[in-house]
Amino acid sequence: MSGTPLELVCPAGTPGALRAAVDAGADVVYLGFRDETNARNFPGLNFSRPELRDGLAYAHERGCRIYVAVNTFAAAGNPGPWHRAVDDAAELGADALILADIGLLDYARRRHPETRRHLSVQASASNPTAIAYYHEAFGVQRVVLPRVLTVTEIARLNVQIPVETEVFAFGGMCVMAEGRCTLSAYATGRSPNMNGVCSPASHVRYEQLGGRMVSRLGRFTINEFPDGEPAGYPTLCKGRFVAGGCAGYLFEEPTSLDASTVLPELMAAGVRALKIEGRQRGRAYIAEVVAAFRRAVDAAARGDPVPPLGLGGMTEGLRETTGAYTKTWR
Amino acid sequence: MVYRWPEVAGGVNHRADAPVTNEPNRGTPSLSPVLLAGFALRPLPLVLLQPALDLAMTLMRRRHSDVFERLDTLENASFLIDPVDLPFCFTLRLGPPAPRLSVVGNADDMESPSAVLRGPLLVLIRLLEGRMDGDAAFFSRDLAVEGDMEAVLTLRNAVDSGGIDLAEDLLSLFGPLNGPARRAFGAAEALFARAERDLETVRAAFVAPVDGRCDAQTARLRDLEDDLADLRTGMPRANAAGKRAARPGTARP
Ligand code: SF4
Repeated sequence: MSGTPLELVCPAGTPGALRAAVDAGADVVYLGFRDETNARNFPGLNFSRPELRDGLAYAHERGCRIYVAVNTFAAAGNPGPWHRAVDDAAELGADALILADIGLLDYARRRHPETRRHLSVQASASNPTAIAYYHEAFGVQRVVLPRVLTVTEIARLNVQIPVETEVFAFGGMCVMAEGRCTLSAYATGRSPNMNGVCSPASHVRYEQLGGRMVSRLGRFTINEFPDGEPAGYPTLCKGRFVAGGCAGYLFEEPTSLDASTVLPELMAAGVRALKIEGRQRGRAYIAEVVAAFRRAVDAAARGDPVPPLGLGGMTEGLRETTGAYTKTWR
Repeated sequence: MVYRWPEVAGGVNHRADAPVTNEPNRGTPSLSPVLLAGFALRPLPLVLLQPALDLAMTLMRRRHSDVFERLDTLENASFLIDPVDLPFCFTLRLGPPAPRLSVVGNADDMESPSAVLRGPLLVLIRLLEGRMDGDAAFFSRDLAVEGDMEAVLTLRNAVDSGGIDLAEDLLSLFGPLNGPARRAFGAAEALFARAERDLETVRAAFVAPVDGRCDAQTARLRDLEDDLADLRTGMPRANAAGKRAARPGTARP
């Protein structure tokens, strides 16, 4: 089956990464400002206003679009930084805003009606009623689906909703319903939903103890990796814990999503865009993953088999999964 | 391995401001041209390297001012950068008057660094130039980090954003007359790549018999694990044997 290529939406945490994504064939680059208004608020990462202006010029000259994520939930009594982020992104010429907070969606619709509004995965909207509501109330034109649906469920959803869908294709697995996970808040007092960061670096420690690397988050030991065993992120959802006398992964093993093998099915399911996760990753990741997915998306659009992408070295725990897209456990 | 959840009452100090122990745990470096060059450099007084490091930092600050702007928030952070295949380490201090890169003979010559980054020299250079992804190097265990992770991430993100190219940065010193230097650099690079390939062949020849024994041991271990799992679930032995035979690469030696 051939068809319109899926739109390839790629991450950038720095201007260098933005250029790498554009040069590697991204249709769209998504990014955020250097503060708590976006869900990748990592130290040293993200864009100043002048960097966004330069990035927009670089991308637009090359036919690539920029979406700006303002996708955390505004702090009670202090919406200023979130309003400024929306205003600045729209005024600088962002091609779309990625939003989750209904107050902010309303603000963006009233103040910048001409700028496209996409619903962030942080809003965790995954059923026709919720999505229709976001469309009717805030003029949302696209919804980024949480990583909890099968391809069949996505196909069924797409015929019932009036907006485009974007799905995750590659990168870190957030195994809970996004926007609702409180594991990081429980362990550190800071969460992706409110502070833009899961398992903040300020609370992470690694220690080499003999032949083992121990990772800790706040007061919790998350994992111990013997020498030579591939490592994973220090998030509670990827922790290896003792239960019933056995050490094992309770929620999810360290692994990354790779949906390249189901691209034709996602196209057939009516998906409009593919999102690559990883604004916190380096230029080398962006260049390699975006180029590989460019090949994959073009092959799928021609109706050719999707070639193996060889991205194993980029994955957490050096393992990949198709995640919920092909899940058989429910 | 023992894991505890949650380890709230444990005796380990996990606070972010806990002192970093840069007690060397370098593992065994691979046989590489860098390792051999390190042996050759060992008799040289380290102080001879300092002018070259000062020059490198001056160049970096001139050509990549954006990197240093992103590091502004770190103020007085200090890093121990430990190339495991060299007989010395680097220290990077960001405090005023200006960031300074130095060399020390041992990891514990630096008192309380904010963080330690440890890996083979080529991995560290690839990270510096943004040719390797930091998370991927961490997942594969090529890079080990300890200490203040906020400082590590800030450094990683700043450096990655900068488009640093060590060769180009050094060649810029020669201005418009950099042709011969560029050719010499190209030749040195080719020589290095060839030495790396040759040493890999030597290494493979040495470890081939051990590798074979390891594979056999691994297969045997997997069989034993299967047997144990079968015993736990009470699966009949015949099925277990059938399952083993069906799986490639697990035949006993
Ligand atoms: S703890 Fe895991 S599931 Fe929860 S937000 Fe963090 S990465 Fe996602």
